[in-house]
Amino acid sequence: MAAACSLKAALQVAKVLETIMSCCLGPEGRQVLCTKPTGEVLLSRDGGRLLKALHLEHPLARMMVACVSSHLRKTGDGAKTFIIFLCHLLRGLHAITDKEKDSFFSENIQTHGKHWKNCCQWKFISQALLTFQTQVLDYVVDHYLSRHFLSIFSSSTKERTLCRNSLEMLLEAYFCGRVGRNNHKFISQLTCDYFFKGMACESAFEEVFELVDDCFVELKVGVTGLPVSESRIVAGLVLHRDFSVYCPADGDVRIVIVTETLQPLFSTSGSEFILNSEAQFQTSQFWITERTKAIMKHLQSQDVKLLLSSVKQPDLVIYYAGLNGISVVECLSSEEVSLIQKIIGLAPFVLPQASSQHEVSSTALVKFCKPLILRSKRYVHLGLISTCSFVPHCIVLCGPVQGLVEQHSDALHGAFKMLRQLFKDLDLNYMTQASDRNCTSGPLIYKNSGESNQLPEIVNGSIQRPYQGTVVKNKDELAKSQTYLKVYSNLVVPDIELETHTPCSTLEVTPTDETLRCLSPNKAMIIDDHEPCIESNSANSATKNTGIDIYYENLQVTKIAGKGGMLPVRCTSLEMSTSLSYCFSSIPAGCVLPAGGSFEILLHYYLLNYAKNCQQSEEAMVSMIIANALLGIPQSLYKSKKGNYCFPQIYVRSLSALQTNQPIISSQTGLESVAGKYQLLTSVLQCLTKILTLDLVISIKRQPREISDQDSEEEL
Amino acid sequence: MMSRVEAKKPSSCESEPLTSERVRVTLSVLKGVMTSCYGPAGRLKQLHNGRGGSVRTTSQSAALLTGLPVSHPVLKILVASVQNHVSCFSDCGLFTAILCCNLVENVQRIGLPPTTVIKLNKHLLSLCTSYLTSEACGCRIPVDFSCTQILLCLVRSILTSKPACMLTRKEIDHVSTLILRVFLLTIPENAKDRIILGKSVIIPLKGQRVTDSTVLPGILIEIPEVQLMKILPIKKSDSFKVALFCASLSGDLSDTGEGTLVVSYRVSLENAVLDQLLNLGRQLVSDHVDLVMCQKVIHPSLKQFLRTHGVTAIDRVGVALMEPLSKATGTQPIGSLASISPSSYGSVKDLGTAKFGSKRFFHLIPNEATVCSLLLCSRNDTAWDELKLTSQTALHALQLTIREPCVLLGGGCTETHMAAYIRHKTRSEPESILQDSACTQTELQLISEAFCGALESVAGSLEHDGGEMLTDGTYGHFWSVQADSSSVVNWPDLLSRCGCGLHSCRGELGWSFLRSPCPPFSPVTCLPPHEAAGAANNLTLDCFTAKLSGLQVAVETANLILDLSYVIEDKN
Repeated sequence: MAAACSLKAALQVAKVLETIMSCCLGPEGRQVLCTKPTGEVLLSRDGGRLLKALHLEHPLARMMVACVSSHLRKTGDGAKTFIIFLCHLLRGLHAITDKEKDSFFSENIQTHGKHWKNCCQWKFISQALLTFQTQVLDYVVDHYLSRHFLSIFSSSTKERTLCRNSLEMLLEAYFCGRVGRNNHKFISQLTCDYFFKGMACESAFEEVFELVDDCFVELKVGVTGLPVSESRIVAGLVLHRDFSVYCPADGDVRIVIVTETLQPLFSTSGSEFILNSEAQFQTSQFWITERTKAIMKHLQSQDVKLLLSSVKQPDLVIYYAGLNGISVVECLSSEEVSLIQKIIGLAPFVLPQASSQHEVSSTALVKFCKPLILRSKRYVHLGLISTCSFVPHCIVLCGPVQGLVEQHSDALHGAFKMLRQLFKDLDLNYMTQASDRNCTSGPLIYKNSGESNQLPEIVNGSIQRPYQGTVVKNKDELAKSQTYLKVYSNLVVPDIELETHTPCSTLEVTPTDETLRCLSPNKAMIIDDHEPCIESNSANSATKNTGIDIYYENLQVTKIAGKGGMLPVRCTSLEMSTSLSYCFSSIPAGCVLPAGGSFEILLHYYLLNYAKNCQQSEEAMVSMIIANALLGIPQSLYKSKKGNYCFPQIYVRSLSALQTNQPIISSQTGLESVAGKYQLLTSVLQCLTKILTLDLVISIKRQPREISDQDSEEEL
Repeated sequence: MMSRVEAKKPSSCESEPLTSERVRVTLSVLKGVMTSCYGPAGRLKQLHNGRGGSVRTTSQSAALLTGLPVSHPVLKILVASVQNHVSCFSDCGLFTAILCCNLVENVQRIGLPPTTVIKLNKHLLSLCTSYLTSEACGCRIPVDFSCTQILLCLVRSILTSKPACMLTRKEIDHVSTLILRVFLLTIPENAKDRIILGKSVIIPLKGQRVTDSTVLPGILIEIPEVQLMKILPIKKSDSFKVALFCASLSGDLSDTGEGTLVVSYRVSLENAVLDQLLNLGRQLVSDHVDLVMCQKVIHPSLKQFLRTHGVTAIDRVGVALMEPLSKATGTQPIGSLASISPSSYGSVKDLGTAKFGSKRFFHLIPNEATVCSLLLCSRNDTAWDELKLTSQTALHALQLTIREPCVLLGGGCTETHMAAYIRHKTRSEPESILQDSACTQTELQLISEAFCGALESVAGSLEHDGGEMLTDGTYGHFWSVQADSSSVVNWPDLLSRCGCGLHSCRGELGWSFLRSPCPPFSPVTCLPPHEAAGAANNLTLDCFTAKLSGLQVAVETANLILDLSYVIEDKN
């Protein structure tokens, strides 16, 4: 069975998901209760988890979920915003295509043909989206948005040090969306405390985040049946085991880690032990006992007081350990062992071969080692002395039910992921000039051309694709000198006149493309401007004749490929000719914006501005759609607020502040990562592109065979 | 290998679960079950499987909730949080469950947005907890460990509130004293900065009268009569040397490594091992050990050998007894068969055999260890199960009292007192709450009324026979009147003492019916200590830690349930 995959269907799916997601969004969000097939109940406000728990059947929904989870793997945050933004984008597109359909497809084309037509049209839109993402978005972020960025680092010192206040705000905003309303303050405070307690020095925070993120399971203890407020941070490491033998010891305790049984066995794997007499057996047993005794004695003589073992030790070892005053903890997981090794930098103890005279080299000291009882369950509490930048601390998370404890621990883990992301630089595709005065004046000139460019806005979407190539070029031109741009804007006027003129044949298009390559950049630009107009005309004619349409399409594909190849050459030539320093711009590490939709409103504002001044209609349209869709996020964030804090009020206030160049006053105190938001935006756009390029969903009975394996064999 | 890949069924998604009729009905059913069990006059529930198996008669949340199948996820949350509370604190499970149900129900009736409700509930909860932990608290009595009266009242209250134990008044007194004695025996005599409590072992004796229950210091090990015959008459001595093995003495060859063990023809490993065991026996004899105990099995030959040399051997002690045994005798469990360090031997003061009912026991009396055995008798199985659970609860409550040396007034008085306090507080000084939570005065009034109503309903659940329930306008305590005397006009004539038994009836207290609107008043908070001590003979008391935590868990769980906007049920 095949189902037409339309924008409408995608929108319907997204709408359903949006209603679920928007109810847990933001500080006013509520909880969702999930049950597992095993009957366990889980509380969650984590978008990714909820989407997975739904086990959606609709193919488009599944695709969206897959996109969300791949985004989450990258950033660990933003699943709910993803869905809401996607839904608003689809709404925007739907509204526009509806309008266009009325004007263009009123002619009686068969429904099937119409469907295929739609698909082509969406494909063009999706191309335009991609272009937007790679060109316009980065430009806008770098040029306009970046002046609003705040930093999480304290500005007083040159070195990167974390500002506690900002971190608190950042975490609070994060937990607002993740844990129950009553607990987010408490949990964020706890997390913040944990960071500052866990850091050996202020500058080595990245290492700490990394370690905590990797070993989070070992660093938290969940306790059910107690109120959440009993959660706390304990210094040292808590192992989820009890002592096999516990011998109280005061002062510093020397420890060793072993990864094998200390008692020698009759035979190791692969070997054979031949017993010839009873006496032989008895002497071997005697030797084993003596040997074990000697090892433990030796350990004692080295003042070892604690034995951490990753395997189960035989009774004999436990007995002699107890006799020698050595406490034993057995069956540690490999993760726990590696964490301990990381923290104290201790290699596992290797059994000395013949005599045990030499010193045990691999020992370390811990401050204390004692049992810890949490809710009548016993744990081992170690006061490790850290040799790395992480001072070991554990989080004890309490809650009345397991589901809540799990939610909190997931949220905490997510917070570490988010912070790890935050402290990475994020490269943008956009190239910046070191001295770009021209760029700032660029949009002003564009304004003139944008106003005169009215016709393309109502042009059928199928023409958008050829424009894409020119959009790329126009961007580079933007970075060029002012004089060029003036010439360019002058040239626009005849363009429009041209459009109304005679339809050109498709054959003419290819030669222009070829000439473009051999011409100097200066001239190429002029031809560039003519090109879209010619094509738009031809497309207009194509709508009347579907036969030519297909032929025309094939032509375009090759053409765009050619242009794509040209683009980098142009960039380098530009660089050389103007001899200005170019560098890839980036969102620097630790960039934040006030939470509660500031990123969205700012980007909305600048995109609208950009669209206004933009000459290319597709670019303008795409920017408009995205700009308007962005508003959907703050809209749902503030939907329950009344009076002065309702969305229209906030929107109007921030817009007027932006226009008069005043700082925006946010009603919320939190902060959020810019890089995370930026990545979210690009992920959503990619997802949307995917949805738009699909035209048909075919359901098959069998699982698609995994061909990749067979292929590789054949290749071999 | 074939793996079956099946497509997952889509989950069902339910929005606003609390508004659905199904949830509302099941919630009220659960509340009905819980409420009817509450208190000394609570009705019993019989849990039985239609296909057979044992029948459990109970009124305790711990037993009830494990047996109760709950279908809806919302109820699962509630039940799970009560169960978790019970496993932490043993006591106050029903209180938690009823309060939580009441809160959800009351708040639902108001229909305010959950955001406001949750915020305000949290504020009211913190009002409660700060009041209960403050010195000025009017429903808290400090515990003086030099006087057992209050502790005895606490134990007695717990026993009284579990009617499924089927105890008479005399029996309750008897068992309460026993439990208190067990508790006192587990406290070490010369405690330093940190008290490590000893162990108590509860031993079942079914079919006996409850008054036959007793407490013995040391450990009782049940032994079949046949085996007891073999045990030698114990010689008189003032100290007996004990060896305790955790390794098996059966002569099996454990753990020979991952490789293969090749045994030549005519080599008998059994003999070799037995030789080893007998060597061990010789060492034990030469070390003058009087008693050998083993967690696992002792080889019959070794047993015989030991007996002929006048050493008593007891095997199959089981892992549960190992810790108390090692504590009582001061031994270190021996894991070696070859050489035993003399330091791992322990000793007991006396050994003996005892007969209780039809069972025979081997009795170890330690020198001065904090281990004791409680022989609990009851007429039938189900009553014994209930009694055991209750005794454990009482012991746990006593242990918690060491950590937090105070108790709360029981019999519903704490609840009504707290309700009066909150009503007064939210009327007289609502500013701090209003400022912090950005809500209106009316909203606060509504929610605090719902909260106090929920608390008072818990107190009201104590009454099952249709009697009238009153509160006084001075102390805010809970009073109830027999049902059959409703024709009498003058209420105070019928009241003798309040729920907890602290106050007796006086005319000028100012009565009002429970759950009827009454003017807010500030409950008198000072507890006259002398009066408390004087009246302490039959006070009804609750464990402080358990009740405080129960209160917090109930409100937190209610908030959690109220905050739910969707339920996603995985149907796989």
